[in-house]
Amino acid sequence: MNFLLANLLSEPVGVAHYMVVGAVLFTCGIVCMATKRNALGVLMGVELVLNGANINLIAMGSPYLQGENATLGLDGQLMALFVIVLAAAEAAVLLAITLNFYNSAGSVDIDQADQLRG
Amino acid sequence: MHWPSFFFLLFGGFACLFAVAVVLASNIVRMAFYLVLSLAATSGLFFLAGADFVGAMQLMIYVGGTMVLLVFGVMLTSQSPFVSMRTSSGQMLTALVLGGTLLFVLSFTAFHVPAWQPTHRPAVDPNTPLLTATPIGMALEGYRVDQLDQPDPRIRQGMSGYLFPFIIISVHLLVVLVGAAYLARAKRRST
Amino acid sequence: MDLQTWLPLLLGLAWLLPLASFAIVSIGGSLPQIQGHHASYRSQKIAGVVASAACGASFLLSLLAMAIWLTNHPLGAEHPGGHPGTAHAPPHYSGDFYSLASFGDLHLAIGYYIDTLTVTMFCMVTLIATCVHVYSWGYMHEELADVVDNEVATRDGKALHRPGRYHRFFQYLSLFTFSMLGVVIAGNLAMVFVFWELVGICSYFLIGFYIERPSATNAANKAFIVNRVGDFGMLIGLMTLWSSLGTLHFDQIFPQLAEPASAGGLSYPLLVVAGIGLFCGCIGKSAQFPLHTWLPDAMEGPTPVSALVHSATMVAAGVYLVGRCYPIFVPEVLLVIAVVGAITLAMAATIAITAVDIKRVLAYSTISQLGYMMLSLGLGGWVAGLFHLITHAFFKSLLFLCSGSVIHAVHTNDLREMGGLRKKMPWTAYTMLVGCLAIIGAGVPAWGIGFSGFFSKDAILEQAWSFAGANPAPVYGLLLWVPVAGAMLTALYMFRLWYLTFAGEPRNADRYAHAHESPLSMIAPLVLLATLAVSIGWVWPFSELSVTSLLEQARPAGTQETVQGEWLSSLTIPDEHLSHAPEIQVPAGWTTFSAAMGGLLLATMTYLWKWLRAEEIRQSFRPIHSFLWNQWWFDELYDWTLVKPTLWLSRFFASIDHWLIDPLVHGITHVSRLVARLLDSLLDRRAIDGSLHTLADQTWNTGLSLRQLQSGSLRQYVLFLVAGTLGLFAVASLYWKFAVAG
Repeated sequence: MNFLLANLLSEPVGVAHYMVVGAVLFTCGIVCMATKRNALGVLMGVELVLNGANINLIAMGSPYLQGENATLGLDGQLMALFVIVLAAAEAAVLLAITLNFYNSAGSVDIDQADQLRG
Repeated sequence: MHWPSFFFLLFGGFACLFAVAVVLASNIVRMAFYLVLSLAATSGLFFLAGADFVGAMQLMIYVGGTMVLLVFGVMLTSQSPFVSMRTSSGQMLTALVLGGTLLFVLSFTAFHVPAWQPTHRPAVDPNTPLLTATPIGMALEGYRVDQLDQPDPRIRQGMSGYLFPFIIISVHLLVVLVGAAYLARAKRRST
Repeated sequence: MDLQTWLPLLLGLAWLLPLASFAIVSIGGSLPQIQGHHASYRSQKIAGVVASAACGASFLLSLLAMAIWLTNHPLGAEHPGGHPGTAHAPPHYSGDFYSLASFGDLHLAIGYYIDTLTVTMFCMVTLIATCVHVYSWGYMHEELADVVDNEVATRDGKALHRPGRYHRFFQYLSLFTFSMLGVVIAGNLAMVFVFWELVGICSYFLIGFYIERPSATNAANKAFIVNRVGDFGMLIGLMTLWSSLGTLHFDQIFPQLAEPASAGGLSYPLLVVAGIGLFCGCIGKSAQFPLHTWLPDAMEGPTPVSALVHSATMVAAGVYLVGRCYPIFVPEVLLVIAVVGAITLAMAATIAITAVDIKRVLAYSTISQLGYMMLSLGLGGWVAGLFHLITHAFFKSLLFLCSGSVIHAVHTNDLREMGGLRKKMPWTAYTMLVGCLAIIGAGVPAWGIGFSGFFSKDAILEQAWSFAGANPAPVYGLLLWVPVAGAMLTALYMFRLWYLTFAGEPRNADRYAHAHESPLSMIAPLVLLATLAVSIGWVWPFSELSVTSLLEQARPAGTQETVQGEWLSSLTIPDEHLSHAPEIQVPAGWTTFSAAMGGLLLATMTYLWKWLRAEEIRQSFRPIHSFLWNQWWFDELYDWTLVKPTLWLSRFFASIDHWLIDPLVHGITHVSRLVARLLDSLLDRRAIDGSLHTLADQTWNTGLSLRQLQSGSLRQYVLFLVAGTLGLFAVASLYWKFAVAG
């Protein structure tokens, strides 16, 4: 794993490096979802998770980083595009739900949204 | 100095840094600001990987559109902009430990697949410019111009591109817009 | 210069000087008592000086021996047994001082076996003993006059008054130093066993120094009895060796072991028995996994004792013996050693996180570090394990002496009553910080500089990494990841200790107001030990002199090669030199570094910056916390499985008398009535009603417990998702390892 740090400025980067960045974003998103009590914070966590996944898709599809046979090619970019669009739709719906919740509960604290508790 | 690596380090570093900042910030407005920066840095990574159209979409839809939505949400819901809600330390610790394990597993995996290592020969010389807007547009309309020389006839037959998903997504977006508008409408008091 | 005469003479003198001081102090201290009064202030003072001077002289003689050795055996010039396959013994000098007796083939003698390991251990033990002696001048000064012991109440409810026992303390310390040096210099296993028991009895005296306190006497008894369990195994090992080899002398055992079984060596099963037996003794003495319970209780003794006996030297004797007898251990036994070490280090580290007694934290940390040494020896890291023994001795005695200085100032062991002491006692605080940094292995892997613990812990982790590489089975991988996690826990609990003691605001204003810096005789050893805790791992400038190169010269024959197990043919113990390759060293170094930094960060976040609140964490992990708080319920477990059944059994036999006669007299009427009642209660109430009730209750309880999962908390669901994903990943990778990849 030493090449991860040692020659990073003089050597080309690979898919693995993109994936580490994706993993960091993904984990940050998960931790964000798990620790924020503000519903909008959770929403931002979801956005981060989707972005982490997107980085992986783009990296797998990039001909700069991988050989001809291994790359996803344009499919990776198209999927990333769909993810972006769906993320926008999801953000809209989630915001609507949050607004609705705020109107009824007077707060955006999702710990109060536990009416489905067993 | 290998410039693509340098820019990767720059954008990747910013993306990670601001993602961590989103986690650590307790103020929702600051979180939104850090998220914008992180997403913008991610679009830089997309450009660097040769996905110019997706990078542009990332900037326009995410950074432009989604973030505006988010900020609206912040403005509409917050009682005061600096309200902070503390999470209990036990949950923090669980999240940190699980997150750390997840990060470790993901990075460990990324560095143990041979095909993903930087020593792998790329398909295209890094100096060749790639233009992806046209192929993506054509693919959404049903033509895979990037796969014209596909030798396998069975795969060529299935080359209708992404027309069908494109239509589904469009309808989906319409439904979402209507649904969101319905959900978020002002409550009528029924007496 | 003739080493064969000079080395035994110098080391023998160094060994006997503490015995002489013991004799002088005990006779001098007893004379006034025969005349009916107590030893005077002046004569007690002199006792302390005599004992310390004897120790210091021993140290100087050991240094002289080391110098003589180095002039005759330049480092790096010879690599004994450097060619794989040749059983060429390392340079050593052995013989007998005095022959005790001969019974047929059995030859009992007071002998010596001297190689660089012996000389290095001599320097380490005498140096630390000297520091502890000097430190005790200040720490034990209350014992010079009459003592009021507030922890002991006499029958009329007042605190106990008793004469001071300053000279007794030094008398025991001298005897201990003598016994410990005897273990180190011993030339045969019988002598090792004698001195092994002698250090045990000294430890008993010193733990029970405050003999009027019930806790101290209980702890002393516990230490003694638990150690007997281990020594029983050790006796079996010794008997196996003697009955098959006919000798217990090291210089005769080692060559015989190299021979095949037909030519007089031991057969493989006997070797396994002998190895496991010897290791049992080491489990007891070094407080390893099943027998570790005595060491935390042993902290009842005075703190200098904890520093000398229960962290730096005596508990390390087990590790030393494993290192000394290394050729006896076959790969399967080494695996047992490694597994016991790994379990110990993980268990003790987790317990140390919740302990609030400053000395108990350090005691569990000692157990954990001893686990590291055992693990390393078991994985083939002979030099790494013993190197950690030496570095650990310095930084752990430093840590204990610092904690003693704190206890001396605030008169409590409870971490919850300290805090903010940094301003009151800066010398103690910063020397202890050095100790903490040394024990977590702070250093920069890229530059290769750091505190002493950095080098030794890195060496252990490198060997573990190399072992995991040689044994791809995932079960063996645990022996790598457990110590890595342990390194993180080490940083966590050590800095928790430091922050709770020295940082932040004082939590008990009264104790804080009375705190003061300790006298010079206590500070000076701290500074000396802190210097060594930093630098003992370094290479001496402009030469090859370092602890590793010294130990390398004593490396036993046969450890230079990669060996395979005979029964477990998939088990490979890799050659230790292979672990110095850069492709192992670099990732292992960075892994250790990041693990330690992770633990340090977590401790800082919780106890210094207070981002995470310890109280809340305790609340949300209450079951885990109480599990750790009660030390994994080991004491309760032994109480229930061993102590209680014995009591029950004796009560049972006592009641037989009572119960054999009465039923005969009261006769059959009672029996028939009983039968009828029994049938009613057993058949109807218990069997039929009971089973239905149980079924219903179980269903109800299952429903209730499942209901807890549906907490309605969105964030908890996210965590369940992540945990599930990780679990799936683990299952999939294990499936891949076993079913697909074969």
